[in-house]
Amino acid sequence: ELVQFLLVKDQKKIPIKRKDMLKNVIREYRDAYMEIVSQAGRILQETFGLRMVEIDPKLHSYILISSLPCAEANHPCRAKEKEKMGLLIVILSFIFMKGNAVKDSALWEFLRWLRVHPGEQHEIFGDVQKLVTEEFVRQKYLKITPIPLTDPPQFSYQWGPRAAQETSKEDILNFVAKVQGKNPKFWTSQHNEATA
Amino acid sequence: ENREEMLSSKSNRLTEALEEANKLFEKVCRAREAALDAQFLVLASNLGKEKANELHSEMTSFDSATFAEDLLSLMGINRTEVEENDSEPGGFLPRDAWQKVGEEALKYFRRAPTFHYMLGSFKSDPPVAKQRIERQKKASRGEAKQIMPAQLKKMEESHEEATEKEVERILGILQTLFENDPNTPISFFDFVIDPNSFARTVENMFHVSFLIRDGLAEIRLDDDKLPIIEPTKSRTVGEDIQGPGARKQVVMSLTQEEWK
Repeated sequence: ELVQFLLVKDQKKIPIKRKDMLKNVIREYRDAYMEIVSQAGRILQETFGLRMVEIDPKLHSYILISSLPCAEANHPCRAKEKEKMGLLIVILSFIFMKGNAVKDSALWEFLRWLRVHPGEQHEIFGDVQKLVTEEFVRQKYLKITPIPLTDPPQFSYQWGPRAAQETSKEDILNFVAKVQGKNPKFWTSQHNEATA
Repeated sequence: ENREEMLSSKSNRLTEALEEANKLFEKVCRAREAALDAQFLVLASNLGKEKANELHSEMTSFDSATFAEDLLSLMGINRTEVEENDSEPGGFLPRDAWQKVGEEALKYFRRAPTFHYMLGSFKSDPPVAKQRIERQKKASRGEAKQIMPAQLKKMEESHEEATEKEVERILGILQTLFENDPNTPISFFDFVIDPNSFARTVENMFHVSFLIRDGLAEIRLDDDKLPIIEPTKSRTVGEDIQGPGARKQVVMSLTQEEWK
């Protein structure tokens, strides 16, 4: 049952906390916790090709990612998910290519070029600001930290742990290269960093 | 405002602004204006520091403007002749603009597919029909066995109804066989066993058990202690005031080995 619980919880892509697992599924079998979890992990891997990764060692929360190589096109994926992934990859690319951290003002100025404005309802994304600063952060795709000594407060955007697990600098560089029709080596330092 | 523009290494805006400020300062004669000037200098020096940072930055210069334009192209933008203004190129973004990006994006992620329940109830349809077609073909090759379903009817109802229909069908067959040969009960095994499919055999037994339960057929042991099956004769059903006959339970087991 733990496997089912994990799969359903993963729908929202928010990390699953150990205490939720204990409370809702394992309950009286607390002592066998480690055994149960590792069994579940094995089943997920063998049957579904999914890996359970501990994303936060303090809170003991986990995410599921695919352990299969990035599949080709035709993912069984809903339109809404695709659109969000599109926005996400654009943001992650921008962050990486600009040195792994960007200021919020820089990011939103960039997104303006793509007709995405904070504070405005977007035709597709609705409240974009919320999507980026809340949903993506909760899902651990992005990490937003306030920059000290700034007034009005500014924030630094970086890759979150899930992004680091589900993709890589090399993958993102390849994405950028594909979009721009250039060889990834065109951006020497980014390429060096990605293939280090 | 326009921070990014100022920071762009290609821009001299910062210098120009400083020069303008210098000129203005000469005209200053009130404290308030001096304060503004001071504020401006602080801002300018901050920007200057950032610009210097960017120069030392180890990242090879990445031009976000071109990146954005290339993304728009990927999205399938319809560029119009007229440019609205400098900061936003004109053009129509199609409805599926972001889906296109997303489609490409998925190739670079190892995302666990979102788990959804498959909808729809179980339907018995083509695979079942196909089996029956096969059985039909075997029959027409002239096998001696008496049980050959002539039916190729496609089942489109839900599972439960399919069972009922099956039961009825089997009853029909049993009765037909009996009509042809009223005094010879049929060997149970001959009746239920499908020589080509173990699964079908089990299904047949399952359906027959319904007939027994409902009192529409009987199973008895013949002289050789082998089970035989026959439809209950109507008079027996009428006479039996206790309901569907004395109930007996029999557990039958059949392994694939035995079936062979």
